[in-house]
Amino acid sequence: MSKYTFSFVKVLLLLSGLIQISLLRAETPVIKIEIQNHLFFPSEITVPVNTKIKLMIHNLDATSEEFESYELNREKVIMGNQKVIIFIGPLPTGEYPFFGEFYPKTAQGLIIVK
Amino acid sequence: MTGFFRLPHFLLVLAVILPAAAYADGSFIDKIYHPYVQAQEKEFEIRGRQQSDDLDTYRIGYGQSLNDRWFSEIYLIDNELPSDNHKFAAIELEFLWQITEQGEYAADWGMLFELDHSFNDEVDEVATTVLTERQWGKWVGTANLRLVYEWGENIRSEIDTGLALQARYRYSRAVEPAIELYAGENSTGIGPVLLGNIRLDGKKQFNWEAGVIAGLNDDTPDTTFKFLIELEFY
Repeated sequence: MSKYTFSFVKVLLLLSGLIQISLLRAETPVIKIEIQNHLFFPSEITVPVNTKIKLMIHNLDATSEEFESYELNREKVIMGNQKVIIFIGPLPTGEYPFFGEFYPKTAQGLIIVK
Repeated sequence: MTGFFRLPHFLLVLAVILPAAAYADGSFIDKIYHPYVQAQEKEFEIRGRQQSDDLDTYRIGYGQSLNDRWFSEIYLIDNELPSDNHKFAAIELEFLWQITEQGEYAADWGMLFELDHSFNDEVDEVATTVLTERQWGKWVGTANLRLVYEWGENIRSEIDTGLALQARYRYSRAVEPAIELYAGENSTGIGPVLLGNIRLDGKKQFNWEAGVIAGLNDDTPDTTFKFLIELEFY
């Protein structure tokens, strides 16, 4: 059993190394979005192709909202009067809709990558 | 630096991990965990595993997030479907920790901590699982590397390890095909899985999953049918 335990320790060390490598990153452009009265401002955002983007979303409403987009593979709850950060990309050219899952009739948006 | 994490390199890393993890005890074929937590989320879960040698396992669970980084869940587990005057065979407590923000680094990371007590044979088990996930276009790769310690009056205390891998294609929200691979001493298998989710009115969504895992060695049941249904709500 000790042989297997030793192997597992080696695997953990390998994973630890991978985590440290993955933590090294370049500066990421930031785009600010606000949620007010269950609407996204701005609701349409254009971002450069093949670039990682940091969305800083500030929910100015008292109620929670969930940023959701199957196309972007992102889902994040933003509690009332709180901010969250969502990383998207690098993405190929295209249009990526997003919406607020808690108020989907009003909270709609689009990210255009070109 | 992200070039290091291209798909061939990721698979190479997993190929290194696989032999070291292929010695776990007991059936390891179950659920693939993802390293993400949603604040304010609650869920009810029913999950089952039917194996060709009758080692069936069913569990019902309730979970809720503690904040935007931690999610807790409690399960009642049994080897037969619930009926009148039924007593569950085991209880399990889970804590999932989201370590990194999704998409921030080359791979996303989390940890799962489990505590399990079996009422029938008075066996206790603690487990720690490293969760990692990485997206390549429409493909998503997930790896769960598990370390388990079990002890009890009637068993020899031991440490086991196990590895579960999932390659999932993001075809549509409702249906995503995937292939899963499990490696453990008594459970080495591979097979197709379908999963997806359906949004419901009123801040709810329904998640589902079904798959068949074929055993790859004599110790693993020839077929394991696994399923999961889950109601998420806020």
